[in-house]
Amino acid sequence: MKQEKFSATALLFPSLLMALIVLGYPVLELLNTSTHSVNKFFNVGDFVLFQNYVNLFQDEFFRAALLRTLWWTLGVVGGTVLLSFPIAMILNEDFHGQAVARTIILLPWAVSLTIMAVVWRWALNGESGLLNLTLQSLGITSERIQWLAESSTSFPMAILIGILVSIPFTVTVLLGGLSSLPKDVYEAARVDGASGRIMFTHITLPMMKPFVSIAVVLNVIYVFNSFPILWVLTEGGPVNSTDVLVTYLYKATSAKFFGDPGKGAALGIIMLILLLIFSLVYARIAREGDEVRA
Amino acid sequence: MKSVLKTPATPSIPQVKSRSNLMQSKAFRSLIYWLILSPIVILTLFPYAVMITTALKPPTEVYSNPPTWFGSHLEWGNFAKVWAQGFGQNMLNSIWVTLAATFLALLVSFPAAYSLSRFNHSRRFTGFFRQFLLVTQMVSPIIITVGIFKVIASLKLIDSFTPLILIYATFNIAFCTWMLQSYFNTIPGELEEAAWIDGCSRFQSFTTIFLPLALPATAIAALFSFIYCWNEFVLAFLVLRTPEHATITMRVFSLVGGRYTVEWEQVMAAAVLATIPMVLMFVFLQRQIIRGLAMGSIK
Repeated sequence: MKQEKFSATALLFPSLLMALIVLGYPVLELLNTSTHSVNKFFNVGDFVLFQNYVNLFQDEFFRAALLRTLWWTLGVVGGTVLLSFPIAMILNEDFHGQAVARTIILLPWAVSLTIMAVVWRWALNGESGLLNLTLQSLGITSERIQWLAESSTSFPMAILIGILVSIPFTVTVLLGGLSSLPKDVYEAARVDGASGRIMFTHITLPMMKPFVSIAVVLNVIYVFNSFPILWVLTEGGPVNSTDVLVTYLYKATSAKFFGDPGKGAALGIIMLILLLIFSLVYARIAREGDEVRA
Repeated sequence: MKSVLKTPATPSIPQVKSRSNLMQSKAFRSLIYWLILSPIVILTLFPYAVMITTALKPPTEVYSNPPTWFGSHLEWGNFAKVWAQGFGQNMLNSIWVTLAATFLALLVSFPAAYSLSRFNHSRRFTGFFRQFLLVTQMVSPIIITVGIFKVIASLKLIDSFTPLILIYATFNIAFCTWMLQSYFNTIPGELEEAAWIDGCSRFQSFTTIFLPLALPATAIAALFSFIYCWNEFVLAFLVLRTPEHATITMRVFSLVGGRYTVEWEQVMAAAVLATIPMVLMFVFLQRQIIRGLAMGSIK
């Protein structure tokens, strides 16, 4: 069936081609820029090989941002997956107001991250912010807190908001998984007298593994690359104390800040490599886990 | 004519629920579930409450100290004030970019998903293609900022919608293809095979049998693409330069970003306006969204 094979490939071709051109061309430009000295007006100068990369690693703000990105990603993705699993389990049950609960939990997905962050920035305002009002009227805090003035309070808040906006997508993926689990397996287990806990650890968790994997990998990619929340809340400040790699990259590139596109390009390449390594390692771990069980 | 004798139904005896059956009652279970969910529900609804109450405060009372939820009266004029700043144009920009990018994304994703679902590809090739789609998700606009900027500048496309539409569409290929493929797998192939036996070509069976069944799924994939494009910020922030070309999301940010005095009641009114279209779509379609995503894996 030559004809079949041709149309099968031809149908995939436009998507491959489009992605290769639209994303590949900028990536090549990025590689090219990262190995040249570039002034803040993007005028490319001499070929300097790895000088931009060296400059980057010598910058203490970069090293701090690298470490902070690790905490940011771990905090947001870890918190999101841990919270989303029980939420998805509940939303998968049949109860009064289930549709309302689902809609509320999914609602943040419909709102731009940027706008969500803008609203939180106002809610976290030290003098007139409604979060302080709420916490005080509930008796949780006694005095008003200047949430965004210090990185020790603004960074954890950013992580919390990151978790809140990542829950909808994650719950949806897990819900898709839960609702597809075969009912007869549970029936058989019940006939054999298995307890609810045993069913959860021996049936639900192993069968949900692929869905958890998808949720983890995609969330890591999106959170690692997430710019708006921290940018809107603090712009990486005060004095770069809440910078993660993406906000540092923006500052390195923009003429308003450091104005060194070469550095920004080098960081972009490094981030791409980090993400590729992560997904390869994760795929390997997931596969090994399967082999051990099989 | 035989008259049917109706025997009155025996009244069912109400069962007194024992304590062990308490968890069996739906009402009690619902209560427990809502209690467990309450923290997340409150945290989720909190920003909406902040947004709406602030948008309705008189400008002079926004910076009240101590803070209050409501002002002395509801100030509906904030919305009119924001609208008068030309937000209508920004809405139109967002609509245009969103529709064009979504159309383009579906145009290439639909055939790709059909091919993955209906033709026999080697496992290795399918694996490669899925990996490739995952890589497209890594190459996010912020990471390749410098590359994008150089390409767009050399093509003289700064402050134009074209690069936005192209990159948004490309970014949505992965999600649309994943979703559509899992949907298409749930449409039984026997229907089409029967049509081939009756002498239909593959193209005829596609248009008459497959396409009508695939349309609802396509609508959901389109919705996710809508949401992404409508809400995207980083790329718009990099490429668009003039207020009249800004998307609605960017315009809302511009009322806050880099300013010393922020008129929060106007920012929140703008945020409400920018959010309404997507939230309405979401609320109306939430049943289909969940069913759609769940369907992906039911065989």
